[in-house]
Amino acid sequence: MKRLAVLLVSSVLLAACAAPAPPTGPAAEPRGDAQAGPAASETATSSVVARLLAQARQAERVGDLSATEANLERALRIEPRNARLWHYMARLRMAQKAYPEAASLAAKANSLAQGNRTLQHDNWRLISQALTLQGDSEAAAAAAARAAAFKE
Amino acid sequence: MARRRPTKRARARRAPNRGRRLLVGALLALFGLSVAYGLYLDFDIRAQFDGKRWAVPARVYARPLELYPGLQLSPGELLAELGLLGYRQVSDPGQPGSYARQGGGVLLHTRGFEFSDGAEPGRVLELQFAGGRLSAMRDAQAHRPIDLARLEPLYIGGIYPGHKEDRILVRVDQVPPMLVGALLATEDREFMNHYGVDFRAIARAGLANLRAGRTVQGGSTITQQLVKNYFLSNDRTLWRKANEAVMSLLLEWHYGKEEILEAYLNEVYLGQDGGRAIHGVGLASQFYFGRSVKQLSLPQMATLVALIRGPSYYDPHRQPQRLLARRNHVLQMMASEGLIDEVEAVSASRSGLGVQRRPSSGMSRYPAFMDLVRDQLRRDYRDEDLGSDGLRIFTTLDPAAQQAAEQGLSEQIRRLQPGTADEPARLQGAMVMTRPDTGEVLAVVGGRDPRFPGFNRALNAQRPVGSLIKPAIFLTALSDPARYDLLTAIEDTPLQIPNTDGSVWSPGNYDGTSHGSVPMYQALVHSYNQASVRLGMDLGVERVRDTLVSLGLERSVPAYPSLLLGAVALSPYEIAQIYQTLANGGFRTPLRAIREVLTAEGEPLQRYSLNVSQAVDPAAVAILNSALQEVVRSGTGRGLRAWLAPELHVAGKTGTTDDLRDSWFAGFSGTHLGVVWLGRDDNASINLTGSSGALRVWGQAVSQLRTGSLVLAMPDKVEHVLVDTHSLLLADRACPEVVALAFAADTGPREAASCAQRGPAARTVDWLRGLF
Repeated sequence: MKRLAVLLVSSVLLAACAAPAPPTGPAAEPRGDAQAGPAASETATSSVVARLLAQARQAERVGDLSATEANLERALRIEPRNARLWHYMARLRMAQKAYPEAASLAAKANSLAQGNRTLQHDNWRLISQALTLQGDSEAAAAAAARAAAFKE
Repeated sequence: MARRRPTKRARARRAPNRGRRLLVGALLALFGLSVAYGLYLDFDIRAQFDGKRWAVPARVYARPLELYPGLQLSPGELLAELGLLGYRQVSDPGQPGSYARQGGGVLLHTRGFEFSDGAEPGRVLELQFAGGRLSAMRDAQAHRPIDLARLEPLYIGGIYPGHKEDRILVRVDQVPPMLVGALLATEDREFMNHYGVDFRAIARAGLANLRAGRTVQGGSTITQQLVKNYFLSNDRTLWRKANEAVMSLLLEWHYGKEEILEAYLNEVYLGQDGGRAIHGVGLASQFYFGRSVKQLSLPQMATLVALIRGPSYYDPHRQPQRLLARRNHVLQMMASEGLIDEVEAVSASRSGLGVQRRPSSGMSRYPAFMDLVRDQLRRDYRDEDLGSDGLRIFTTLDPAAQQAAEQGLSEQIRRLQPGTADEPARLQGAMVMTRPDTGEVLAVVGGRDPRFPGFNRALNAQRPVGSLIKPAIFLTALSDPARYDLLTAIEDTPLQIPNTDGSVWSPGNYDGTSHGSVPMYQALVHSYNQASVRLGMDLGVERVRDTLVSLGLERSVPAYPSLLLGAVALSPYEIAQIYQTLANGGFRTPLRAIREVLTAEGEPLQRYSLNVSQAVDPAAVAILNSALQEVVRSGTGRGLRAWLAPELHVAGKTGTTDDLRDSWFAGFSGTHLGVVWLGRDDNASINLTGSSGALRVWGQAVSQLRTGSLVLAMPDKVEHVLVDTHSLLLADRACPEVVALAFAADTGPREAASCAQRGPAARTVDWLRGLF
């Protein structure tokens, strides 16, 4: 946990010190047909995942965390690089009061969310909440600042 | 004064009294002992009966195949899974468990399954394929498209109570009455009437045996056979038989005929499958005929009853004629008892045995993976719980990946060392395959003969890892981007390191030469020993070890300089855990073989959750991975190109040890991570390097899978660029010799090489498109 806090704080500081990056192309986009994952039927697969995600969220709303988890895992096996799914998995951990796990999953979501500022903001906010609930207010504040940076 | 001695007469009178009292006393004592002994037997037999009734082993399943439009799947791949599941090809799939080929598509009638998150209904699916993917899926009965369906998971084995017995339990009302009839007609005609022992049967048998001069008939009732089965004793002494007789009587006193019959049907010994005993008609039906007991034909039922007398004496593969004769005898008994008429008996007698050659599913087709499942369960459950509660365990095994791994290993081993009659090939190996993003274990191969449940080299063979350790050195360096990037010059020159005992260690390179000052990436890509050790010593061996621990090394290893060249013994599974963190962008993900455990009734007992922990700086990992990608593109791993499509990007590292005793390769694509080890159990040299040995296994295995290209997740401020290998400046496609490497912000080359045609400002990933 402490390690995570150190990592997060140092990455926050690094971010603050570094010069703004030149605009780059989306680095994590799939290239070519060799990609496993939706290609020709992109919309069809995404609709499956969207449906599973909707089911997961519905289950969460009624408090059935076990069904939430099952649906999210099923969706993740279909699209393991879908940052939103990882974000929702992090939210599930928050609901389960597993705060260190939640923060790590949100960080994983961030690693896949290049170019999606809203999602990165949401992830950093979640990390901040998780750190607060673990009693690490310093790291939480740093994470909150990181979240704010994505709001602009 | 002398005492008057009693007269003879008086003595004589007293003697019978004393004698009588002694006799009565003795009889009372004997009676008391008998009662006590009887109580003991009673307790014993009831404990057996009640205990065995509920001893159901845990059932273990592979991952269920999920079908959705867009899934990379060919009809052939689907049929392979259906084959494992025992689906039959028919012209019209009216029954669950069947399918038909329709042009290029498949009409599939699935069997339903109760998953923990809901029931998957059995239904008829119309599947169409295009471009190597499932393109459309419709519910053929409801006439509407479906976006997701699951096949039932493949049963891959059981976890048994201590003595390796397996059951498919049946209730007495699930067994066809004809089978029960055949059993009683042959083994115990008076079952419904006797009290546990049938004296007339004993007498009859005794007479028959006397006449024949040997044992031709048994006089034991089913109850007696059941008792005998419980105690697995082979001695047929009178004492033993008397005990069993008493216990049979006691059993009948406590339990009803139906209960005893049911226990017998589930207990009767009917065959052997290697080390596994086949008990009960439920399992025997599956084992011999590949179907459930309810689906048995008349001759098949007769065969099972015929086997009771001696499953090995009447072994269907070794003594088919004998079994056939006995089966037909059973059919005759059935006819004479009026269960079937003579015509049916004769016609059934004409049919062949119909016993399947290779029993489907069974002990386990996947013993190495089952070892891992047991290991992971043992952390949470006692052995007794595992074996006796009928738990249902859902795992991550992917039969297709397992098949590819097994085939890759055994075929390449055979090719690399075919062996002769005089010199049997001793080359062994192991492979582990996982999913990079989730840590799910897809396949475990424990040796060149994967069906053989012997030494599990994937989990338990600890071998020196050699150059596989090097990424940990470079990762430690890259974690300090101010000091090191992939172009930092390091010295690949001879060096001497004093050992604690005064001797000196002087590592040499594999090709015997030193390469002088080299950019860091080259030392990794070409696996230079001297440069790696120098770098490691500069960083500090403890720091390199700390990196290994962060990556997931759990075993404690001493921080000696020799660690830097992999003089540490780890198993392929441990290596997979370490490389998993690299493949997952710096997120350590504990490898999981189990998804969840349910009770026999289907209630969730334990869920093995998906979790990651941020272990290493993702930027450093991304940069390292770009170099590992170059290992395969232009370095010691370039032999993989022969196996993989050109547009498929993978990253990896070869590993070779002293005297070529171990050959390793660890690599990952976008969807698969694999670790291969080759070596000999006696540790003799195999004359193979990582590139000439393990890499080929990896190549063949992965080439048989649908694997996705590796797309390196580039965190903020990390860029993946082309570098001209001569000038080490920014390059583009116009340059003849380039490498693709990643750099953190403010590090790496700023100027363009002379061969580059674009300006230095264009430091984007566009340049990488179409390169490979």
